[in-house]
Amino acid sequence: MPVSALDAYRASSCRGVAWLVSLLAGAASYATEPGDRGSIVPDVRQLVVTPDRLELAGKNRQSQLVITGVDGAGLNHDLTRQAKIVLGDQSLATLDGAFVRGVAEGQSEIRVSFGAIEKVVPLVVRDFARYPDVSFHSDILPIFSKLGCNSGGCHGKQAGQNGFKLSVFGFDPRADYDAIVNGSRGRRVFPGSTTHSLIYSKAVGASTHGGGQRMSEDSHDAELLREWLEQGTPWGRDDHVKLAKIEVWPNLRVMTPRSQQQLRVVATYSDGSFRDVTRSAVYTTNQEMIADCDPTGAIETGRVAGEAAITINYMGCVDVARVVIPLPNTQLPQRPEWLSDGHPIDQLAWAKWQQLRIAPSELCDDATFQRRVAVKTTGTLPTSEETRAFLRDDSPQKRIHAIDAALSSEDYVNYWSQRWSDILMVNSKTIGGQGANAFYGWIREQIETNRPYDQWVREIIVASGNSGRVGPVNFYRSQRTAEDAVKTISQAFLGIRMDCAQCHHHPFEKWGQDDFYGLAGYFNGMTRQALDENRELIYHPGHKSTAIPVINRPVATRTLGGQSTAADDQTDPRRELADWLASSKNPFFAKLVANRLWKHLMGRGLVEPEDDFRDTNPPTNPELLEHLAKTLVANNFDLRALMRHIMTSKTFQLSNAPNETNLDDEQTYSHYLVRRVPAEVMLDAICQVTEVPEAFPGHPIGARAIELWDNQLPSYFLDAFGRSLRESPCECGSSGEPTMAQALHLLNAPEIEAKIQSPQGRATRLANTGLDADALINEIALSTVNRPANPRELATGRAIFQESGRLQAIQDFLWVMMNSYDFLFVK
Amino acid sequence: MSSSIRNATRRDLLRVGSLAGGAIAGLGLADVLRMQQLCASDQAASRSDVNCIFIFILGGMPQQDMWDLKPKAPAEIRGDFQNINTNVPGIQISDVLPGCANVMDKMAILRSMTHGDSDHGRGYHIMMSGKKPGVGDFNGNQNNNHHPSIGSMVSYLGAPGVLPPYISVPNFLNSGGPAFLGPSHGPFVIDADPAAPDFSVRDITLPTDVVAQRGDLRQRALRQINAMEDRAQLAGKQVRSLDNFYEKAFNLMSSPAAKKAFDIHREPAEVREAYGMTSLGQCSLLARRLVEAGCRFVAIENGHWDTHRKNTYSLRELLCPSFDKAIPALLNDLASRGLLDKTLVVICTEFGRTPKINQLAGRDHWPNAFSIVMAGGGIRGGQVVGATDNQAAEVTDRPVTPEDMVATILYTLGIDYSKVMHTPLGRPVAVADGGTVVRELFS
Repeated sequence: MPVSALDAYRASSCRGVAWLVSLLAGAASYATEPGDRGSIVPDVRQLVVTPDRLELAGKNRQSQLVITGVDGAGLNHDLTRQAKIVLGDQSLATLDGAFVRGVAEGQSEIRVSFGAIEKVVPLVVRDFARYPDVSFHSDILPIFSKLGCNSGGCHGKQAGQNGFKLSVFGFDPRADYDAIVNGSRGRRVFPGSTTHSLIYSKAVGASTHGGGQRMSEDSHDAELLREWLEQGTPWGRDDHVKLAKIEVWPNLRVMTPRSQQQLRVVATYSDGSFRDVTRSAVYTTNQEMIADCDPTGAIETGRVAGEAAITINYMGCVDVARVVIPLPNTQLPQRPEWLSDGHPIDQLAWAKWQQLRIAPSELCDDATFQRRVAVKTTGTLPTSEETRAFLRDDSPQKRIHAIDAALSSEDYVNYWSQRWSDILMVNSKTIGGQGANAFYGWIREQIETNRPYDQWVREIIVASGNSGRVGPVNFYRSQRTAEDAVKTISQAFLGIRMDCAQCHHHPFEKWGQDDFYGLAGYFNGMTRQALDENRELIYHPGHKSTAIPVINRPVATRTLGGQSTAADDQTDPRRELADWLASSKNPFFAKLVANRLWKHLMGRGLVEPEDDFRDTNPPTNPELLEHLAKTLVANNFDLRALMRHIMTSKTFQLSNAPNETNLDDEQTYSHYLVRRVPAEVMLDAICQVTEVPEAFPGHPIGARAIELWDNQLPSYFLDAFGRSLRESPCECGSSGEPTMAQALHLLNAPEIEAKIQSPQGRATRLANTGLDADALINEIALSTVNRPANPRELATGRAIFQESGRLQAIQDFLWVMMNSYDFLFVK
Repeated sequence: MSSSIRNATRRDLLRVGSLAGGAIAGLGLADVLRMQQLCASDQAASRSDVNCIFIFILGGMPQQDMWDLKPKAPAEIRGDFQNINTNVPGIQISDVLPGCANVMDKMAILRSMTHGDSDHGRGYHIMMSGKKPGVGDFNGNQNNNHHPSIGSMVSYLGAPGVLPPYISVPNFLNSGGPAFLGPSHGPFVIDADPAAPDFSVRDITLPTDVVAQRGDLRQRALRQINAMEDRAQLAGKQVRSLDNFYEKAFNLMSSPAAKKAFDIHREPAEVREAYGMTSLGQCSLLARRLVEAGCRFVAIENGHWDTHRKNTYSLRELLCPSFDKAIPALLNDLASRGLLDKTLVVICTEFGRTPKINQLAGRDHWPNAFSIVMAGGGIRGGQVVGATDNQAAEVTDRPVTPEDMVATILYTLGIDYSKVMHTPLGRPVAVADGGTVVRELFS
């Protein structure tokens, strides 16, 4: 590297000191240019080796060293690949870079040096003669899950693979043990001889294996498998030491683009013993563009600034290492004036922008704000009169007034009753028209009275009675089995997807079959009596125990991580479930609904998808999500109050127009995220701007799409624009994704053209006024995109008026504005 | 190079390629390159200029009354139909299909389809996606897909053109949805029967009361309003996506050839008559026009084949006449236009029907063994793949699974069926889920 570049690097690192120190006690490694990596020699003053003392004992026979250089400014640099490492006694261990493998018992030391600085790490290798007990169910089975042997595409599928069948993700350990130890006339294992055991020779690729080589001979996994064979393929004792947790170090790093950071992962067992599993863990990034991690635990950052979470899995335990890469060569963003308003959401958002050195966009103008609040809260466009009045209003409080007016409007009730009906699957096809109507009516009452969210969710969980009269009972008419109820309730109210856990313990997830059927026990034995063809009497006569199907193992009814139920066969156990589920202490309950509302208003969930909470899917701003949940709990689960809290933040009020620093940002809300107007809202908007209502079958003329309770009413428009199918609790059922059919419909639909050309419609009415061309253009802009026409619209509109007659020009300009992105999207 | 690599089949190698990192440290670069070559040479045999017309016979097509007769079986199994000779010596099919018998040289019958699920909704899903759906009964549910349909996978994996890549007619096929691939890979649905006198495809042309000149003016103005600067300002995936669809819509509207493809009224009367003025006939003709104009996958649904009662009457009088007119007309038309080699025609169904005739003179659902037909797209006509026992009840030779069918269709269309898709939950889903190409079809 040329000297001048090095000087430039030093100069820039000095500039960086201020923000880094203020940031966190983390570390940074530097690269000056894209593509230049690992070749810089930092001015290292101190060397830190982790761990500072190495003991290889028992199962812990391999260990990763992480070497960090601290420079004069107190900044950390990962030197794991650059430092020189020398073993004192080479007969005790071998080195692969900074990865140490024990070979024989004894004591020595490892000398780590970088430039003139040296650090000595004592090394002890002991307990090498006898390998600790290996257990099939807690040591071997997880290896098969990790390597994918028992996945649905391989030996885990129903028919097995080439005669060898395992239960998918190891849900039936006894059957798997039998398949391996006794199956195929014993050829799979040959106690004492690894080379004669197909289970080993196929896995390491020594015998022909359809699945190819799954592990290398010098890996931990191979070591465990060898030891298990040599110990005589034991099933393992039930009190066998179990894996308790894994921990990664470092778990948070500030890095530069195109740089590296070695991780070290340590597993701790129930007896307190530990083991370095850096080379056995599986690393997954949530943002490949930003940072990726190789199988040896080395993170490499890309060219893009941002944040990434590396999820580390080992045998079912999970930890996360977060990486923050600020924009290179940018200053700390200037503190926006409005931060002094002290809104906690803004403070928490600002902390994130500072971290990433992203400057937030400007605040949006009044017209944009008014349209945004109206569409997101009431599902209704402002009228041109409302827009004029809002723009004229010079009260400093006018934005807050607009929020309050929207939240207390009838349209808020219309719109949110429909949104909750989507989530709760109020589908007349599955629960009948009468049921859907009763359920919708009940939901509407909850929204209208702004009843605390926890109270009405509780009422759904414990619902009993005649489905024609008791609205929430209809929930159990679409969730007809205990299994369906578990899946829907955990996804709809906790954001926990239990689908995988029904059949197997997912190797990367927390919840397994015991958890799934533990919950299913609350619904087992529910009774449904048909009253007539439209109504059912539904109730729970008392608790009934549950067993896992196929392996037929009884499971205690209990909440996730909770105690077994106290309910007897005369008591409805769902009350207990509701108490746990809708409690302010339940870590998932408030967070999910807070995240839903946040996503709805901000365009993207802090957790995404909004109802998929798990360790491996961390929130982009955990502190902010925590704050929203706490605010909700503190306000007694008042949903409107939380929406108000979000909308009064300046973060909600940012412009969608990006600046240089936040153009690519989709995660930190540094500019407003543009979203398509939803199906029902768009249909209403088309009716509103043309002044020609839609005729829905069975509804009076003038009924609006956001007022419909029945999602089965035939409507090509609503289908094409993706109204919710209400077939799963996932809001993904209502899709905002554009399609070709939508574009064609907006351009050419005769139904829309008829509204534009209707003699009773707006175009004709405007033609009969005395307004001149510019006034007409402005009026049409105000009613469609809710702001005065911009210069381009004015020019385009004038050209149309010059070319065509008055009425036709009005119709054409209206058509143009109804196809403009400012109409179709909320920005 | 280790022996395991040397001996590996193409599928093994692909499976290795899709492993989540780490476990295959033993593979050298040379091995990886070799794998890629293997894959490439295999893929070279399939062609990306082949499009597909996928005809779904909804209700369950009776194998033993149409494609796989058992004249020696007892009367209650044999039924009322007789074998007749086809234009291929040695292959016989039902006397209810004399038209098809004349184009046997263009068709391959797969007599050994099998999957084992006798529910309509589930069978539909299995045969349109190659995968079993999750739990639940969803007969009649629209867009029931738990997994993407073949057409959606073609849309997702194939290259885009002027026409939408996946079109369905005369309605949305209930198992034809995109599932987790998202609505942009759903079918462009022609929700109208092309046999109707007033048939037209909605929204692809200007409304009748807007003359072309006025339409041009509007489009010009709209392009100005939605110009590039604003797109950058709007900076969002959804805006870019709709922008892309607007462009495609403009292309479609301004391409007379593409628009014409939808207009079945341009066909000479004698051609329309040759296909038959029936739903299946006209859907098939429209499909030919669409693949001719570049659509990659047209799905047709033809219903009412669930013959639990009066099986013989239904087939002879109501169902087979239009079928036996449409299919030969389609194959002959494709052949005479030189399109047969570039068009794969698949005649599919949920399952077959029970060997034994029931008390209502009908046959019930039978998924253990049934027949489907494939033609064109490089498939060698005039052959039968697989065989069933003497009651057409169980497969005795060369079982073909729905996974194999999906692999074969995608392979014929030049699409890499070894790929893995990911659900929003991150769950990997193999495109053809272990299915392999039915090689005999091409030899």
